Amino acid sequence: MSTASDTHEGEQGHGHGHDPFLAHHFDTPAQQFDTAKLGMWVFICTEILMFGGLFVAYGILRNNSPEMVHAAHTHLNRIQGATNTVVLLFSSLTAALAVRSAQVGDRKAVNRWLGITIACAAIFFVVKFFEYSAKFQHGLLPGRYFTGHLHNDPTSMHLPLTFEAHRFFSLYFMMTGLHGIHVLIGMGVLAWAMRENMRGRVTPGHFTAVEIGALYWHLVDLVWIYLFPLLYLVG
Amino acid sequence: MSTATHDSEHDHAHDDGAVHAHISPVIFMIGIFAALIFLTVVTVAISYVDLGSANTFVAMLVATMKASLVAAFFMHLRYDHPFNAIIFVLSFLFLGLLMIFSVEDINSRGAIDRANGVQVLERTGARAPGGLPESSLTPPPGHAAGGHAPAAGHAPAGEHH
Repeated sequence: MSTASDTHEGEQGHGHGHDPFLAHHFDTPAQQFDTAKLGMWVFICTEILMFGGLFVAYGILRNNSPEMVHAAHTHLNRIQGATNTVVLLFSSLTAALAVRSAQVGDRKAVNRWLGITIACAAIFFVVKFFEYSAKFQHGLLPGRYFTGHLHNDPTSMHLPLTFEAHRFFSLYFMMTGLHGIHVLIGMGVLAWAMRENMRGRVTPGHFTAVEIGALYWHLVDLVWIYLFPLLYLVG
Repeated sequence: MSTATHDSEHDHAHDDGAVHAHISPVIFMIGIFAALIFLTVVTVAISYVDLGSANTFVAMLVATMKASLVAAFFMHLRYDHPFNAIIFVLSFLFLGLLMIFSVEDINSRGAIDRANGVQVLERTGARAPGGLPESSLTPPPGHAAGGHAPAAGHAPAGEHH
């Protein structure tokens, strides 16, 4: 990530001036690009393992209390979950198109696609706001703040809950909350890539910022691809 | 990576050292997106059908298909150095290890027997070796009130170690 900011020194150190973005500790732009990507993939690996701990916790919770998890998952809103799935999938498409535009050297298109991607992230948060508000309203909160079992409504399609369901909602808020933090960080990373592009530091021979930003964004999408069915659909 | 010498640039006769990444056609990317939406519709639709425990399996299968599409084409793993794909797949293998051993541990572990600290496998009622001799067992305080000590209900099998 820091290679982009080091390029000025790199240019002078290398002394050839054939590529202003080549840092002096790399042989070729291709090597520099591959190194940045390798680092990003290792980082993605650590992210998967971090979320993986929560997925294992989810598996154990379901294994121990299948009825409770099943009852609790009926209180999640499938429509909102599916909407956010589509929003994130679409934003992944636009992020990939931003990379493509950078590859073919269309600077305006890079800005447009990155802008749409960031807008999709904002839409994701709007849906999330309504989703979390409804949970707060019904007392479906983590740990000792849970009062959902006092609001059981026999006429509703939601299955009745016991206090034990606080464990499901602890995990629900932990998983979707950590994912939400990643969406927020992803917006920042994409905004940074957009700034690099506006400064003319993204070219067909050097689009590391957009590529890395998009990789991070796809990771956010990947996590949601698993979160959505596990929490909202199959509980 | 290799140490920086200018000679190394000339080692790659056909490689000018510039970034040559695969450029996918726009229509192809839109096709991938359409496939992702289709799989999302499929997984939501199937969730309304009760397949028993197969529901989770199908949902995970569809999710993995979607994740593979995103990783292979949106993240360019299909056209990238295989090493990046190896890192990515390895992370899932290690996650699988964590999952397998955790679930196996939970399933094979019994509750602590409040009476003598011996582990009891709840499903079979089997007593693990160790613990206090049976003659020293006394009902735990408040035993009659609580329904929270399933292990206390198991009759000692008379094994002494």
